[in-house]
Amino acid sequence: MGPVIEARGICKSFSIPSVRRETVREHALDFFRPRPHERLRVLEDVGFELRRGESLGIMGRNGSGKSTLLKIVAGIYAPDAGTLAVHAPLTPILELGVGWNPDLDAIDNIELLGTVMGMSLRELRTATQDILAFAELERFAHLELRHYSSGMAARLAYAVAFRAVRDVLILDEIFAVGDAGFKERCQGRYRDLHRAGHSMLLVSHEPRTIATFCKRALLLDHGRIVMDGPSAAVADRYLMLLTEAPAEHAPAAAI
Amino acid sequence: MTSVATTHVPAGHGHFGGLVWTLIRTDFKTRYHGTVGGFVWALLKPLTMFLVLLAVFSYVFASEPQYRLDLIIGLFLYEFFQEATKSGLLSLRAKGYLLTKARFPSWVVVVTSASNAAVTLALFSVVLLVFLALSGRAPTASAVALYAVYQLHYLAIVTGFSLAASVLFMRFRDLNQVWEVVTHAGFFVAPIIYPLGILPERMHGWLYLWPPTPIILFSRSVLVDGRVPSALAHALLTVEAVGILAIGALVYRARAPRVAEYL
Repeated sequence: MGPVIEARGICKSFSIPSVRRETVREHALDFFRPRPHERLRVLEDVGFELRRGESLGIMGRNGSGKSTLLKIVAGIYAPDAGTLAVHAPLTPILELGVGWNPDLDAIDNIELLGTVMGMSLRELRTATQDILAFAELERFAHLELRHYSSGMAARLAYAVAFRAVRDVLILDEIFAVGDAGFKERCQGRYRDLHRAGHSMLLVSHEPRTIATFCKRALLLDHGRIVMDGPSAAVADRYLMLLTEAPAEHAPAAAI
Repeated sequence: MTSVATTHVPAGHGHFGGLVWTLIRTDFKTRYHGTVGGFVWALLKPLTMFLVLLAVFSYVFASEPQYRLDLIIGLFLYEFFQEATKSGLLSLRAKGYLLTKARFPSWVVVVTSASNAAVTLALFSVVLLVFLALSGRAPTASAVALYAVYQLHYLAIVTGFSLAASVLFMRFRDLNQVWEVVTHAGFFVAPIIYPLGILPERMHGWLYLWPPTPIILFSRSVLVDGRVPSALAHALLTVEAVGILAIGALVYRARAPRVAEYL
């Protein structure tokens, strides 16, 4: 079977001005003043394939470019160079702990996030109770999100995203949310989806998570893939990397 | 030279109608707090504003009933422009929390942002037409149809502006303040409180470039005066609306791929 994601030579950098100009006034007043920019290279010639039904882990230190890579694969960021082909519908589960409409209740927010993730209203209406049950928030279905704790909001988001899964699932630190019971449900759902043939791209700092849920993994360092191999070996290499002295050049930050 | 190519299979946005409806419905609910009272107020606001303005202007301009109606139409149409463009400009930043969650056609967020203002405009239009009918000045069906066409042009203009302004606002954080000043000044550029005829004719063409001007003048013309503007005037309005929409779409298309990076 062919790959569902093919990435070749992906590069991404961000332009960091020495002086930030964010307003019309600042641009107008400082029009003739030079403004040096520094290029912050976040990803450099990154390439990989995700095969159908495969669960691929991605590890790396903070600032190694993992989140940026996921956002590029999800189509949220545009790469500066390289080719990316995604041959199946994908559902990203990124930054789900933040960002809701605080003035709406859980049911309306489920509908908002669910439709953005590609679900139909009919699908959402039949799934709403399951989503609330997964997040253990049935009692708070009509409570505005402004009154939710950050943990409750994150659980709700993961419950929606797990229900919205199309074909490929992209997860960023998925098993770091909620109490032990919720983590267990997330892991169970992950295994069910994997058994059902979904392809997974999983980012985690936790070597045990990568070794448990993925057969193969990539190790990112300073925006480059430094290892592509069995997940247990990559997890070991990652732990060694953490104890090594940092390289001379500062690691790129994920923006 | 670097090459970039990305292809994605859509993630089920064949259910596009559901996304549009949810954005409109939740915007409406957020604005009116999802209460029955809020919903009733949304419906009553255009009616009460119309009645208040009518009562005040009937007293102040008792001898000029024509001016009274012209003023009310001008005020309502301009308020729509102010409210819809402001919502459009802020739309992407306001819904930024969705843009970083998934890949979806984000222009929908911008286009649907005018829905609240459009509902108010539609209700005002109904109130106005009922008032004209009750006062024995019912416009003809073709006049009503033309008025509807002008409002569609207005929506195209607002959408074009919103598309461009929403992405530029991500970069220029005070664009909303600049636009507020422009629309306040623009209130006096559009012939709302004064008749266009008091200005020299050579200035008229320039005033027509300010989008609310032709919409307000043409709407008054067909509904109140019973006169249909010339075919050339209609053609120029269409060119203006399509031009603004096209420029807005081009600016949006150029800048939208990087929008999430500014959040």
